[in-house]
Amino acid sequence: MIKRNSSIWPYLLVAPALIVVLTVVFVPVINAILMSFQSYDLRRPSRIGFNNFKNYVEVLKDPLFWGALWKTIVWVVAGVGLQFVFGFMLALLLNKKFPGRGIVRSISLIPWVTPGVLIGLMWRWIFDGNYGVLNDLLLKLGLIQESVPFLAQPSTAFPAVILTIVWQGIPFFAIMLLAGLQAIPDELYNAADVDGANSVQKFFLITVPSLKSVIYVTTLLRVIWVANSVDVIFNLTEGGPAYATQTLSVYIFNKGNSLNLGYAATLSIMLTLVLATVAVRYLKTMFQNQEGKA
Amino acid sequence: MMKRIMMAALAMAMVFAFTVSAADKVTVTHWYWADNPKYSATMQQMAADFNATNGKGITVVAQEYPWDGGAYSQTLFTAVMGGGGPDTSSFKLTSTPLFTANNLLVNLDGYLNSWKDKSLIEASLYDTMRQASGTKSVYVMPWNTQVLYVYYRPSLMKKAGIDVPKTYAEFLEAAKKLTMDTNGDGKVDVYGFGMRGAKGGQEPWGSFIWARGGNFEKMDSPQAIQGMQDYVDLFKNGYAPPTAPMDGFNEIIANFKSGKTAMTVHHIGSAVGMMETFGDDVGAFPFPGGVGKWTSMGDTENVMLKSAKNKDAAFEWLAYLATGKGQETWCTVTGNVPVSKTVKELPFFQNNRFMKVSIEGAPWAGILPILDTTTDWINNIWPNTVSSALLGKISAAEAMKKLQAGLWD
Repeated sequence: MIKRNSSIWPYLLVAPALIVVLTVVFVPVINAILMSFQSYDLRRPSRIGFNNFKNYVEVLKDPLFWGALWKTIVWVVAGVGLQFVFGFMLALLLNKKFPGRGIVRSISLIPWVTPGVLIGLMWRWIFDGNYGVLNDLLLKLGLIQESVPFLAQPSTAFPAVILTIVWQGIPFFAIMLLAGLQAIPDELYNAADVDGANSVQKFFLITVPSLKSVIYVTTLLRVIWVANSVDVIFNLTEGGPAYATQTLSVYIFNKGNSLNLGYAATLSIMLTLVLATVAVRYLKTMFQNQEGKA
Repeated sequence: MMKRIMMAALAMAMVFAFTVSAADKVTVTHWYWADNPKYSATMQQMAADFNATNGKGITVVAQEYPWDGGAYSQTLFTAVMGGGGPDTSSFKLTSTPLFTANNLLVNLDGYLNSWKDKSLIEASLYDTMRQASGTKSVYVMPWNTQVLYVYYRPSLMKKAGIDVPKTYAEFLEAAKKLTMDTNGDGKVDVYGFGMRGAKGGQEPWGSFIWARGGNFEKMDSPQAIQGMQDYVDLFKNGYAPPTAPMDGFNEIIANFKSGKTAMTVHHIGSAVGMMETFGDDVGAFPFPGGVGKWTSMGDTENVMLKSAKNKDAAFEWLAYLATGKGQETWCTVTGNVPVSKTVKELPFFQNNRFMKVSIEGAPWAGILPILDTTTDWINNIWPNTVSSALLGKISAAEAMKKLQAGLWD
């Protein structure tokens, strides 16, 4: 009797968490998949119903989708890539001993803990073509002769939003990589010194290989987050001008906001499929690491 | 024993008294947006005044949400669809099809028919409300209107050596001449026209389309395309600030107030702020006509949601806003055009120079076609298509074709 109870007991303990996860994750996901096969436009409630693959066909024929997909790729590659490079540099700097290091470490976290909406609004004013501080600085430094409408022209709007997301994400990489750097035993560097290795050799032969798994996991995570990010772009440009900053997630948000939920769900599934290629690799790496440790 | 009975009776009496007083008190939750802190405080004061004077135990709780270039309507819709939201709310006519299609609004016909003040509002306004719903019923209670007109700086016109434009051609010429280098450093520091290229810009833009003889029913007509070309040319020729493709309400007002633009289009809601900044050095004229004539009639109404718990109390509040003291207070502070005939007759409205221009433009003031596509067209299609044309990515003709398809297909 006791034996039978004990076999049920673990399941009972897991059940609440499982129910919560099923309710808040799986039900909406299944709902979104079902919605993607429907004409589900709340502006036309009388027409709500299944339409098979019509949404998918329309998405594939939609030039805005392809434009947004390309922009998502550039947004992620440039955004995450630069976050990683500058984050790594900051981590190396913060790993050095210098007076006031604790304060600098704390301050460097500010962009990461600032809400995305606030970041969007703040940078919108920084980039403002009439009253922005960036234009003011560039004019005073004599680098430009006239104010640049950074967010009002496609050639500068997209780089501007990328710069903003880079600013936001640097601390994440810095902190994660800093934790990794602190875990590297000093003995490895001492041994390299004995062998006569220079700084570059130590960096590429000790530091980078030791941080390999941290770099892999943080980059993959950040790719997923940045691809899904809406708040920063939306508050900066709402995807404009002329769709110049409309990534897939912003396009989904705009479509959802205009209440065409079926089409928005289809776009979401497409983005999910793209991100799945990254997510699967992330999960694989995570499990491999766990098995390795086990 | 007696003591216990007494205690029980006292307790029951207290419960009864509480229940009765609770039943007497009715709370109406009202959502609204405000363009500035002053308007916000005014609405709160109006709710407090109503609560103190209605004599029916009705308590209105006014909750403010941002207009956010029109996103307010979606916020309201999402809240109500999700089972929440207010009992009554400020509203825009363009959202009517969305709300009526989802059966979210109370049909006000019954209330209006037995309302003593019904005739204080023009019958034509009720007709507009009926048209918006696509039915023979009124779902939307008139509140106030705003007619768009052109703000200008008399001192800058004098400097440019021009008079107030009376025709569309003169207006285009004025935008050109008002684009000036006032400090002689070889750079333009005043732009003739404060163009709104972001959300909401469709309202002033419509005047250009109509001035060339176009309309919203056929936006790909040669006349409408010519209107669009004028709009694009103003930007391309440098008569509007380079930021125009992304300039919204805040930007056009800030640009005008800082002296960066000499003319801009908005309604009387900005008049108080303009006068605070410029005193007498700000004037207004109706957007001049060419082949055709049109200006946007901004409208703000109130609605009662089907989920309203006490509909009679909610209508009392809507009536207070439409023809009661609330109408006078709100329109006096905001400068909006009242819908109540008696309020319109008050000296404040008769002697206000901006109100006069609003009333002058009223005969050709109109609204965009109210379709189930209108909200998306305003929020996404118009700003991105027009900025594409302004930035030279597509021609004026291509832009108008897209705008036509986006609204009507």
